[in-house]
Amino acid sequence: MDSLHAIGFYVSAAISVGGGLAVAFLPGRGSRGAALAVAGVGVAGIYLSLYAGFTGLVALVCYAGCALLLASPQYRVMEMVVGGAYRQAGAVAAGGLFVVLAYAAWRGNFAHPTLFYLGAVNSASVGRLLFAHDALATEAVGVLILVALVGAAAAWRVRERGR
Amino acid sequence: MSAGLVAVLFVAVALVAVGAFIAVWKRDLTAGLAGLPLMFGGAGVAFAGASRFAAPGGPPAFGQGVAALLAVAALALVALGVGIAGRGTSR
Repeated sequence: MDSLHAIGFYVSAAISVGGGLAVAFLPGRGSRGAALAVAGVGVAGIYLSLYAGFTGLVALVCYAGCALLLASPQYRVMEMVVGGAYRQAGAVAAGGLFVVLAYAAWRGNFAHPTLFYLGAVNSASVGRLLFAHDALATEAVGVLILVALVGAAAAWRVRERGR
Repeated sequence: MSAGLVAVLFVAVALVAVGAFIAVWKRDLTAGLAGLPLMFGGAGVAFAGASRFAAPGGPPAFGQGVAALLAVAALALVALGVGIAGRGTSR
């Protein structure tokens, strides 16, 4: 990565993370939606600096859609039923998640594609891994997700009819 | 100045952590939905960075395709959540 793309990457990273923090702390749906759009601009800039311009365009459109949805008049407030102690514990857990993942990114040796036992990391090798070598596990995960979604939808419908 | 895979992964981790923080910190569940695009965006940045740096001989379009798919999935999930929230409180 040359210097121009590296500068663009770091600036975009600062914009995206700063926009995300603004989403967390700004009051009001309009300001939160604007902050999410700013974060989307940052994420699109990261993709652009990684030579993924089309993905950046898709991300920009999707983040703009998310921002419009969260700032739209159809927005309705749903209060969380858990107490403040659980929210604080969750915030600490998010910090712990950051520490663990950052340590894994720093110490991980997965950047060497020769360590992947099916060869280079590309669509063919990942496809062989998911649909040939670990096909049963992939189907099990798919069935689990499907059952969870159907169960959630059924529970929601039963609750709606009960009102 | 340069940026490698570790720098990309650090940014991806920061985005995931900020998204998780938003999801658990917001008292309003609908506002907590704003953490989903950030978490998915962090995963997408990790995919795009891995395909850019870790697979010099392979096609980088795989990670980019997964990142685009994650962005669309985040938009769909936010639309679903806002729709469910609006339907649940309008009665």
